[in-house]
Amino acid sequence: MTSTRSEAVPGRRVALTHADSPIGHRLVKSLYHDPSIERIVALGPGPEPRDFNRFSSADECRLTYSRVDHARQRSMSTFFNSSLLREARIDSLIYIPAHAAPTPSDPPLAGELASQTAEAQLVLQHLLEMRGLDNLICLGSALVYRLSPGNSNLFTESSELDLAPDTSPEIRCWINSDMLFQREFHNPALRVVLLRVPTVVGTDGTLYFNSILARSLNSRFRPMGFDPICALVSDKDVVRAIQLALRGTARGVFNIAGFETVPLSLLARWTGVPGVPLPSALISLASRLSNILGGTQIAASAVAPHLRYGFTLDTHRARRELGFEPGYRIAPSPVEDGRIQLESAPV
Amino acid sequence: MTEATDAAILDPSSVYTGQHPSARRREPALGSDPFAQAENEPDPFLEHLELLHRTDGIPTVRTAGNESPEHPAITARERSRSKEREWIEVPELSEIKLPDRTSWVDRLLSDEDRRRIAAIAPLAGGDAAYDRFGLSVDVVRNSLPVMMALYRIYFRVRSHGHEHIRKRGPVIIAGNHAGVLPFDAAMLVTDLLLNCNPPRLARMVVDRWVATLPWVNVFYARGGQVVGTRENFADLLASGQTVAVLPEGMRGAIKPFSERYQLQEFRVGFIEQSLASGAPIVPTAIVGSDDQTPIFFNLSTLAKRLGLPVFPITPTFPWLGPLGLLPYPVSYEIVYGEPLRFYESYGPEDARDPELLRSLSRQVRSEVQRLIDLHR
Repeated sequence: MTSTRSEAVPGRRVALTHADSPIGHRLVKSLYHDPSIERIVALGPGPEPRDFNRFSSADECRLTYSRVDHARQRSMSTFFNSSLLREARIDSLIYIPAHAAPTPSDPPLAGELASQTAEAQLVLQHLLEMRGLDNLICLGSALVYRLSPGNSNLFTESSELDLAPDTSPEIRCWINSDMLFQREFHNPALRVVLLRVPTVVGTDGTLYFNSILARSLNSRFRPMGFDPICALVSDKDVVRAIQLALRGTARGVFNIAGFETVPLSLLARWTGVPGVPLPSALISLASRLSNILGGTQIAASAVAPHLRYGFTLDTHRARRELGFEPGYRIAPSPVEDGRIQLESAPV
Repeated sequence: MTEATDAAILDPSSVYTGQHPSARRREPALGSDPFAQAENEPDPFLEHLELLHRTDGIPTVRTAGNESPEHPAITARERSRSKEREWIEVPELSEIKLPDRTSWVDRLLSDEDRRRIAAIAPLAGGDAAYDRFGLSVDVVRNSLPVMMALYRIYFRVRSHGHEHIRKRGPVIIAGNHAGVLPFDAAMLVTDLLLNCNPPRLARMVVDRWVATLPWVNVFYARGGQVVGTRENFADLLASGQTVAVLPEGMRGAIKPFSERYQLQEFRVGFIEQSLASGAPIVPTAIVGSDDQTPIFFNLSTLAKRLGLPVFPITPTFPWLGPLGLLPYPVSYEIVYGEPLRFYESYGPEDARDPELLRSLSRQVRSEVQRLIDLHR
């Protein structure tokens, strides 16, 4: 790979947010091995991942990690006005949201959700002032679509967003970020690509980008009498889609999904935590009781529509315009201590 | 789902036909050394990207912004015509190797029935055994003995005209609806599965509210029923499947006994889909269902207060509780008529003409009514 890199013609100069998150980490790895990427500036709120050091200190110096608090105005201003960014002459920015971090078992606090929206606003505000920036690739969630009763919701990129007043704060947060970036679709100076992904399965079997589902699997409670279909995608496929979006010229929204659409009950078995179906009213009651007794909310969103009705994504547009085809299948696999863990393997 | 099936799904070797993750070199968890992976292994995707870079190729046919939504029906037509979406091939019974008996349910099924179930397996698609609507061939197989008992013993179904249903490609079955509970739909699906070769699993289109009913929604989805949206309809036809509609809807199911065998107004969505996809419409008469639950009248105000679509008064309901809604053991006759190919005279663009759709819908209704009158 080293020889390939040295022969590569000058290519993209990329910055990405939340590079220290699992998906960001994997993306940095893939970009590093991509000969068309000349320079990578990785941002993250946490300390520099240990293995980045090896490459950022090399002569080649294609990768630089910068610790930036994405939700703070001062921190972001300092970074966007820094000499590092000027010298790197970044032409593309990949926005990985904070949601890419592993889902906590407790529901996120209102403040956390607000800061996630603030991040998107700050990133957008600063990059619009940047010179030479041509491409913005954003990662969004397919939870933004309005879910109708039933399993057979097939969402295209132009499907209706869930703007109902009773939408859960987490989904509203996704919608806010989504709409912020959509505003720039008609900006002639900036090519914006928004990739909407369903539940992402990470290398260690962790579920990302769908905190409702992940939390339900954590708490093991789900509404009785429903078994929604869950669309899955491997984090490796998400990274491939980002690379294709970076390389292409298409702009707009693209749905990205993998091969697997499985019922929640099967997904629960796949992750080794079979669910306990309970009547919705009982889940709400248990949640309230637990809250009063000082425990965590068992499953505040266990009665959410996404645990009753399923959806899949129409990925024709991504296939046609980005050339994206899922390349990984997801399946359960036994791990060392006898547990079962979701893993992805090349097709 | 049986334990054997569970075990098969959880058994990694049964999930993939290709190499399974457990068979590969175990990749270190993220954070250990993610850069090490690609050092020794050529990555075809990287080679693909590199090729794009060298040739300055763009995997893009056209640049597009956030376009206004296309008409779903037109999208389906385009897909169908461009052959972007291939039809799902269901093999003939003679091509199916008799599967082994893996559960006690198999002992209740004849060899031919097991072949039929094996033949429809491609409809579920993928290795995960579920299609995107939630269809599970295992559930179809497990419920088949009950359906066959209803079909052969309880309703004593006779049927003819299967030659009008083409062997492959999309087709729309449009029939009449009656009898409160949808046993007519169940018998129609069973009949198509048991008497067509290659077997046809009809994807029955159901109302949205059905999907809100606990358990019922799961059973329907696993059995192949889909919520009746344009996108779903178009998607099923584009993949060459059989879609069954009862265009009278709930109005047909709750019509009073005095109006039995008098068809209600038909909806028009299926005509639109037929024009867009080039799927023939097979008018189908289901004779017998109008007698299975005679409705004297419907307490619509009470039904609305209880959040129910209907509150019928029948000889047995509400007097016997929910059991009173069970159908009487009437004899069914299912008749498939000559297919109607409106798409030969009208193009997909005509699907936007509501007057035309209503007119064609009335033609289908007249044909179904004629078949009913002929076989009553």
